[in-house]
Amino acid sequence: MATLHVLSHSPFADSRLTSCLRLLGSNDALLLCGDATYALTQATAPLQALEDRVNTFELYALEEDIQARNMTVPGWVKRVDYAQFVELSIRYDRVNTWL
Amino acid sequence: MAKRQQKARIAGFLLSSAWEFFIIAGVSLNEHPMKFAIALFSAAHAPSSRRALLFARAALAGGHEIVRLFFYQDGVYSASANVVAPQDEQDIAAQWREFVSENQLDGVVCIAAALRRGILNEEEAQRYQRASANLTAPWELSGLGQLHDAAQSADRLICFGGP
Amino acid sequence: MTRSLLVISRQAPWSGLSAREALDVVLAGGAYDLPIGLLFMDDGVLQLVQTQDAAAVQQKDLTANLKALEMFGIEDVFACGKSLAERGMFPGNLNIAVRQLPQEQDISELIDRYDHVITI
Repeated sequence: MATLHVLSHSPFADSRLTSCLRLLGSNDALLLCGDATYALTQATAPLQALEDRVNTFELYALEEDIQARNMTVPGWVKRVDYAQFVELSIRYDRVNTWL
Repeated sequence: MAKRQQKARIAGFLLSSAWEFFIIAGVSLNEHPMKFAIALFSAAHAPSSRRALLFARAALAGGHEIVRLFFYQDGVYSASANVVAPQDEQDIAAQWREFVSENQLDGVVCIAAALRRGILNEEEAQRYQRASANLTAPWELSGLGQLHDAAQSADRLICFGGP
Repeated sequence: MTRSLLVISRQAPWSGLSAREALDVVLAGGAYDLPIGLLFMDDGVLQLVQTQDAAAVQQKDLTANLKALEMFGIEDVFACGKSLAERGMFPGNLNIAVRQLPQEQDISELIDRYDHVITI
């Protein structure tokens, strides 16, 4: 049983990313969308926190949000569109959006 | 049942094998049709309201079913009939209405959350003697039981909210 | 096949409507005899502080709703141990009985036991 966690809050203004990373299981995945994609900004603490865990969970980011923010994201982040977002929600047993 | 799903099912029956159907329809070979319940917690101007709508469209495009849309907390604002979006911006409230109507979906707004936030249909506006109503078809006002009912029918419950 | 739902409540009692509306989801599920779990974590544990006086800020007292959980058959009520400790709270002096989850791993295992999850 595995969970797809979804975040949309900026990691700089908010503690959801920190809380989420604490309880991410080894089979879980994290999808960053909206302002949560700022966590992928180069040379920042959130990116470092994600990089430290790079092999322990699957990390996805919503393509439109990366594009909107003109971000350069590391190769180990999997970029997804909405069709793939739907597929992810099926592949994992449940979706936990951090509202 | 949504039109796309009806067409997909008919196509499935007409084709000689399920394999051909999946290849032609472009459906992922990993999936069979899933039932989604989608809950929205944010207003029409929130990016997450648009994101929920795009996800919902993608779910139908992928051949899946949406058993219910349930608008809760600030999601009730996404059902407001009175949102006036600037001409050069997306009118997400209007797009939600169109999406629900065109696909004949069950669009439910939580009545307790709606009342608290001043989203009332004609019936409630009359009941509480308010100046006007701002919730119309295709939206129905109902209780949290509808959220639970949707969760019982759905393979996946997906929530959208926040930014 | 009855599907189970875990509600994770992360907000303080009077920080808008989140705490109240998370509880409403849980109690509604209880009214329909559904398998519902409730986890308090992060600021959500602040809902469990004893002897709060909501009237002082003219807010709804959620303690009555919390006490109703048992009446509605909601027995699976948990609190994140780390969230409690961070806020100077202890399992012994809360307004309702909860099962404390001391480790983060306990939380991810808890989530794994449910079909659906809503984190408010």
